[in-house]
Amino acid sequence: MAKVGVYVCHCGSNIAGVIDVAAVRDFAESLPDVVVARKDLFMCSESGQEMVKQDIRDGLVDRVVVAACTPRTHEPIFRAAIEKAGLNKYLFEMANIRDQGSWVHGHDPEGATEKAKKITASAVGKARNLEPLEDKFVPVTDAALVIGGGIGGINAALALANMGHKTYLVEKQPSIGGIMAQLDKTFPSNDCSACILTPMMVEAYSHPNIETLAYAEVEDVSGYIGNFKAKIRQKQTYVDWSKCTGCGDCTEKCPAKAPDDFNCGMSDRRAAYIMFPQAMPKKAVIDIEHCLNCAGREIGTLPKVNEKTGRPILAPCERACTAEAISRTIAHNPQGAIKEIEVGSIIVATGYQVMDKGWFKEMAPASPNVVTALQLERIISATGPTEGKLLRPSDKEKPHTITFISCMGSRDEHFHNHCSRVCCMYMIKQARLIKEKYPDMAINMHFIDVRAGGKGYNEYYVGARNLGINFFRGKVGGLEMLPDDKLRVLAYDSDTQSNIEYESDLVVLATAIELPKDATVLAQKLGLQFCGSNFFRELHPKLGPVETATEGIFLAGCCQGPKDIPNTVSQAKAAAAAAAAPLAQGQVRIEAVISEVHPEVCSGCGICIPLCPYHAINMITYADRPRAQIEMSACKGCGVCTSACPSGAIVLHGYEESQIFAQIEALTA
Amino acid sequence: MIIDQKKIDEAISTIVGYGGHGMLNCVQCGACSAVCPGVKAGFPLLCRNLIRHLMYGQLEEIIEDSSSWGCQACNRCTEVCPQGVRPQEVVFAFRRYQANQLAFSTSSVTSQMNLYETGHAVYTDPREARKRVGLPEQTPTSAFDDQAKKEIQTLINNSPMGELGLF
Repeated sequence: MAKVGVYVCHCGSNIAGVIDVAAVRDFAESLPDVVVARKDLFMCSESGQEMVKQDIRDGLVDRVVVAACTPRTHEPIFRAAIEKAGLNKYLFEMANIRDQGSWVHGHDPEGATEKAKKITASAVGKARNLEPLEDKFVPVTDAALVIGGGIGGINAALALANMGHKTYLVEKQPSIGGIMAQLDKTFPSNDCSACILTPMMVEAYSHPNIETLAYAEVEDVSGYIGNFKAKIRQKQTYVDWSKCTGCGDCTEKCPAKAPDDFNCGMSDRRAAYIMFPQAMPKKAVIDIEHCLNCAGREIGTLPKVNEKTGRPILAPCERACTAEAISRTIAHNPQGAIKEIEVGSIIVATGYQVMDKGWFKEMAPASPNVVTALQLERIISATGPTEGKLLRPSDKEKPHTITFISCMGSRDEHFHNHCSRVCCMYMIKQARLIKEKYPDMAINMHFIDVRAGGKGYNEYYVGARNLGINFFRGKVGGLEMLPDDKLRVLAYDSDTQSNIEYESDLVVLATAIELPKDATVLAQKLGLQFCGSNFFRELHPKLGPVETATEGIFLAGCCQGPKDIPNTVSQAKAAAAAAAAPLAQGQVRIEAVISEVHPEVCSGCGICIPLCPYHAINMITYADRPRAQIEMSACKGCGVCTSACPSGAIVLHGYEESQIFAQIEALTA
Repeated sequence: MIIDQKKIDEAISTIVGYGGHGMLNCVQCGACSAVCPGVKAGFPLLCRNLIRHLMYGQLEEIIEDSSSWGCQACNRCTEVCPQGVRPQEVVFAFRRYQANQLAFSTSSVTSQMNLYETGHAVYTDPREARKRVGLPEQTPTSAFDDQAKKEIQTLINNSPMGELGLF
């Protein structure tokens, strides 16, 4: 016969402020198999835990029920406590009389007390039927995968590599660097973005523990913490990267043009291109969609021969390449190649995109002089379309009045309710850079309010006011296109409660940060969830900011929510620390609360297989017939298969039939 | 309201030139106006709102407003300002601008004439009241001291006030 001990927690006034704790304790004492019932101000305190341990050591109890708060935060604490006292940690059950009692029935203390009694009785019913269970351990692959080669991914990969773990850094573009590589300078120190980023790119690319897979995308991921298998598609570059020296000769000779994404479409690049001057790896890629197949040089065909000279007629890119890295005779597979890797943990650092100006019909998106802030970043960057000269797009003239408009698509229920967090600061940065260079330029900034909450940020903002940059409180309502490519700004100033208006030469929209569309596809491959503002959901907003619901998969940077460079780097290093933990331990613990198939009962119908959200079930042959089998390290113990099995062949340890029926019986008594 | 950078620059250089050095630090939080007795008394263009209009280059538009003369120079605004704007100095700078443009309010002209003639900005004839309570009719101040009056007038005549040619 089980000897159940019940311990009721006051949780200060959290529980006792509503529920009659003494009454619950008295009631618990009357339940079958309960040998002792106690109460304490804080059961999770040292003295509270000691009370339980002492009862176990005295041989008084061999099943423990704590009626307190949520098992999500406190079950591990009590399980550890009873294990220390020599009891199997699964001989423990929690009754959540706080979240399900006092917190939700504060208006009805009597009812809440009665409910607490029922919840406690239910837990006791289950505890009487609990059986000891054992955790299992599986070995891990000592390697990590970092998806995304921006400043977040680079930092995460470097941190892991410096801890001695083999790390794969996968980047979909031909170069690592991400959006930070597109920025001119960075707030609040006005550091040149490339100057601080490039050394990190070099360090990551040349690190002996990092294998950079640029121009590659994650095709598929299977497995579980410690033992993931990933398929990486290395996209076709049409250039032999083992020979390419990054000289750029092919890009000069290539006659085909395509919009340059790196310059946000404000200039053209060639079909054969190197992403940007500091690219890492600095390798050329042929964008086959825009390639003209010069000289009839379709990929995988033999060249025509010049009848006079007898020499083959090659395409300009082939001729230009002295390193012989380009040969259009080779039948390159347009699908590229698949590389299969095995890793123990995965960090997702896929970054963000900014909204296009086309979404904002009231902001004259048809005007070339209305640009997004990222476009302005390229305009003022030395590697941008104007080589750093501030010229407005319509006529390449220097503007005299510039307008900045905040919260375009952020804090706006038509688009995104979230604050994009970095816009206030980068607008101020751009305004400062321009005002410092051209003090006579009029810069008008329109804000709902200025959010400058970071180290050194407010000082930076006040400094902008000191430079003579004009700040207006209130969002711009609309822009009107004027005949001379100017824009009339129609705004409101809530400080003076008056409408304001003026003509502007260049208008900059701080468009919202959002998750790129292709991130949704990746989420499906990795089983990631989304939060309310449609970024990847972390395990816990405060206490699990880098973890996800899937063990072994972690988040860093803007894919988890908008953040600036310091926060992205911090999160990346935190994610690396978390991702290194299983690698460093060499094995991962598999909790015992998982499902198991009794093969002798299983009919092999296979209903459970598509239902399993973790792809943990497969078919094996048992006694010459097909039977389901659950991979214990992939199982999360959700119980879907157990409840669906028509033969009752699947048992979920820790939630067995006898235990659940005992709970129902207690609740309906 | 039309926003014109030239007017903004002119307003800022004028106010800074007259001593309102901290004006550009202002973030429009309104703490100054919250403690300003002039604002409480109903003067619309003091502290935050005065600075806001100046930041928009509205110098000429508000030149005739008499609010600035309602400033009691208590300096509480300077104590509470989180940005070191010293709003009172901005108010005084605006006053200096107004005075130099001879844009005085009636009340302030009276005070200044009183100051010039009696040495008191606020002056009422005290003699009858003093006699009633048994004091000497004449106060022991500049009002009844020709030498002191003369010295005060000399000081005023030789100050920027004298250059305005009011007296």
